[in-house]
Amino acid sequence: MKILVTSKRVTDPDMKIKVKADGTGIVTDGMNYKVNPFDEIAIEEALRIKEKGGGAEVVVVGIGGKDAALEIRSGLAMGADRGIHVLCEQAVDSSVVAQILAKVYETEKPDFVIMGKQAVDDDSNQAAQMLAGALGVPQACFASKVELAGDAKSARVTREVDGGLETIEVTFPAVLTADLRLNEPRYASLPGIMKAKKKKIDEIPVASLGVDTNPRVKFVKMTEPPTRKAGVKVADVPTLVQKLKEEAKVI
Amino acid sequence: MAAQSTFQVDKRDVSFVLYEFLKADAELKKLPPFSGMSKNDFDMVVNEAAKMAVNTVAPVNAVCDRSPVQFDKGKVTTPAELKAAYKAYCEGGWLGLTGPSDFGGQDLPGVIGLATHEFFMGACCAFTMYGGLTAAASRLVFHYGTGEMKKTYLEKMYSGQWQGTMCLTEAGAGSAVGDLKTTAKKSGDHYLISGQKIFISAGEHDMCENFVHLVLARIEGAPKGMKGVSLFLVPKYLVKGDGSVGAYNDVQCVGIEHKMGIKGSATCTLSFGEEGKCQGFLIGEEHRGIQYMFLMMNEARIGVGIQGTGIAAAAYLEALRYANERIQGTDIEQFKNVDAPRVPIAKHPDVRRMLWTQKAYVEGCRALLYQTALWADMAQFHPDEDERNKAMGMLELMTPICKAYCTDTGFKVTELAIQTFGGYGYCQEYPVEQYMRDIKIASIYEGTNGIQAMDLLGRKVSMKGGMYLMTFLNDLNIFCDQHAGHPVLGNFVKNLTETKDKLAGVTMHFGGLGMSGDQLYPIYHAAPYLAFFGDVVIGWLLLRMAVVAQEKLDRLCADNCCTDDDTKRKLCADNSEAKFYDGKVRAAKFFISQLMPRVLGYEQAMMSGDRSGLDVAP
Ligand SMILES: Cc1cc2nc3c(=O)[nH]c(=O)nc-3n(C[C@H](O)[C@H](O)[C@H](O)COP(=O)(O)OP(=O)(O)OC[C@H]3O[C@@H](n4cnc5c(N)ncnc54)[C@H](O)[C@@H]3O)c2cc1C
Repeated sequence: MKILVTSKRVTDPDMKIKVKADGTGIVTDGMNYKVNPFDEIAIEEALRIKEKGGGAEVVVVGIGGKDAALEIRSGLAMGADRGIHVLCEQAVDSSVVAQILAKVYETEKPDFVIMGKQAVDDDSNQAAQMLAGALGVPQACFASKVELAGDAKSARVTREVDGGLETIEVTFPAVLTADLRLNEPRYASLPGIMKAKKKKIDEIPVASLGVDTNPRVKFVKMTEPPTRKAGVKVADVPTLVQKLKEEAKVI
Repeated sequence: MAAQSTFQVDKRDVSFVLYEFLKADAELKKLPPFSGMSKNDFDMVVNEAAKMAVNTVAPVNAVCDRSPVQFDKGKVTTPAELKAAYKAYCEGGWLGLTGPSDFGGQDLPGVIGLATHEFFMGACCAFTMYGGLTAAASRLVFHYGTGEMKKTYLEKMYSGQWQGTMCLTEAGAGSAVGDLKTTAKKSGDHYLISGQKIFISAGEHDMCENFVHLVLARIEGAPKGMKGVSLFLVPKYLVKGDGSVGAYNDVQCVGIEHKMGIKGSATCTLSFGEEGKCQGFLIGEEHRGIQYMFLMMNEARIGVGIQGTGIAAAAYLEALRYANERIQGTDIEQFKNVDAPRVPIAKHPDVRRMLWTQKAYVEGCRALLYQTALWADMAQFHPDEDERNKAMGMLELMTPICKAYCTDTGFKVTELAIQTFGGYGYCQEYPVEQYMRDIKIASIYEGTNGIQAMDLLGRKVSMKGGMYLMTFLNDLNIFCDQHAGHPVLGNFVKNLTETKDKLAGVTMHFGGLGMSGDQLYPIYHAAPYLAFFGDVVIGWLLLRMAVVAQEKLDRLCADNCCTDDDTKRKLCADNSEAKFYDGKVRAAKFFISQLMPRVLGYEQAMMSGDRSGLDVAP
């Protein structure tokens, strides 16, 4: 069995983000980067499936400039078997990502793909769905539980949906995405990190894939969210109720 | 799982020291064992260590303090949280970081190991000692043990299954190790060990299946003093032919200490051979035990230094965060205005002084320790003999400073951290009071700081006819000459030059007294001499870092079109990188102008010739 997972290089969500004065992006001086936390969960799930037996190969794909190799390497340090780095310097949107992944899928022919449900930098939550669409395969997004069938040809996936949990069955090949509660990703062990140095990462220039890399989404401008206005103090509860009714119109 | 902790690590400064200042990636590339490793590899190791320290180790720190290890009938019980974290740490392979790959280690350079240790020590010192002792004992076995010993013990030790210990101290032999009374009697292929050791860290506990004690003892009939001491490997349970744990070897824990700090670390009294059946296996040759210990000493002492700086760094970061959050009082300039806005205490000049003092010591000591660890790597592995010798000289000279200065100033930092918190700092709700109690031991064990000072003044300064000292002073001269005209730091460099000349003057003076037969007067001043020396070293390192930082700051200013002071100040407030570099420059200026001048007092005291405190004890 072969499982394809993704590892996107994202800005560290724990750092304070500042928008550039001209609104063309964020200030990247001194920025830390890490593996998209949802991708880490996806990688962990693939590793757990592999460790349950059946001899799966876990392949990590990353798309981006030279530095994006670091996050692929992190996936290898966790225990994935090999990496694929689609070298791509320009910015891409979800649809371009989906097309690139579709090309990788065609050569790799994995049994299924698991990705993070979204990346914590752009929060688009589209790439996996678009990939499933492009490939014409079933999708099972926002998984909080994945159980492979005995023959490993399908999976029963519990999904986190607005109303609660929904359990569906998908036949492979399929695209899955990991939600927060699917698992708690492991730390890379020190031997894991050292072993990862010897694992292979294939570099594929994006141009060689024959994908139209022009983004469909036009980036217009980035601004800081408006700062919250200071609250007001009210004299007593009746005034509060009145204000909630008349000004805030919430009751 | 223990509750989350507020522990933070300063990955930014660690990265600055390693790469922007020491260029450790490039330097390590020149050393054959590390030539295949890159900055990316080191980053990954350091980042994972930080994660482990913050999420797994730090939460057990308070647990260790509130539920100390317990002793009952020869058994020592550790808190469950500590056990769980230790298991994760061992499984993650962190114990074997710098160990040899032939025995389950990862062959990483010492300087990278040290960076990870800063995090772990800051996260929980008591916790980190268990693995640290095993790693230290393993290193000794690796260097001086027989092939058979290595095969039998090392892998189990590096995996954490077996605990290593260092058994030197006895009731009558603390600083004077040579006075020890434990004996060894030859009996076939082994020796029978008999005696009692005290204060043995990790000497007994419930997190491993066997203990590998490295015991200093005197073989019957051996000469008195240091020259008659041999080193033995004494397992708690003998090891069977197949490598599994076998018969009990007559090593008993008869009690543990109840201590001021590091309460999660078991400090044990061990009794060897009460039934006359304790087998010990000689390491190396007879009577050379102290020598083997000495050869491991630089590393062990740098290891205690990082304990000081790791805890101090953690305390400083707590104080810094608190000072920015705690609202109290108004701006001093508005003290008459009762309606003036209340401000974070970080606005108050005295609090700022406390914070900069902490920062300067922590960052100066971090640079010293990392630099010295890099010298240790170079001394061992540099292909060029001259480079190896030079690094060795700096390593020898700096080791007592790493140990004593970093732990003394570290203690001071934790004390200032409590002061920054005010009453809250004195209470257990916040972690700083524990840091102060935990750090104190670092100035006592592994050779008290008094012993370190004598090592510096009595041995290191005059080693190789004073050559190591000359090499150091020469490096300092070169730096001072080169940067005396620095547009921002020039005056501070001149200040350092003058202080360095005073240090050289005092050293000459002491040398002269020594030659004329007065050893006592200089030795009487050994501790302030080390503090003086340390201040010069730290001043030098902080200024060297400031030169690098200023250059980067200038570039950032130019990139952002900041030409006047106002726009520069605004950049430093808005841009985290500019703020960081500005902080490095300010820390150096602060140290040189505010902290280093204490050496003038030392100089005066040392040159005074007064012996009233020397001739008799009060
Ligand atoms: C928590 C803890 C853990 C420890 N872990 C270990 C361990 O794992 N293994 C181990 O072997 N030991 C260990 N020790 C012992 C430690 O190394 C000794 O306590 C230390 O070496 C000092 O010895 P002492 O306590 O006997 O003090 P002393 O030697 O009695 O010293 C008392 C004071 O006199 C000063 N002094 C002594 N001799 C001289 C001199 N010649 N010149 C100037 N001043 C002098 C000292 O500096 C000190 O200030 C540990 C101790 C503690 C408290």
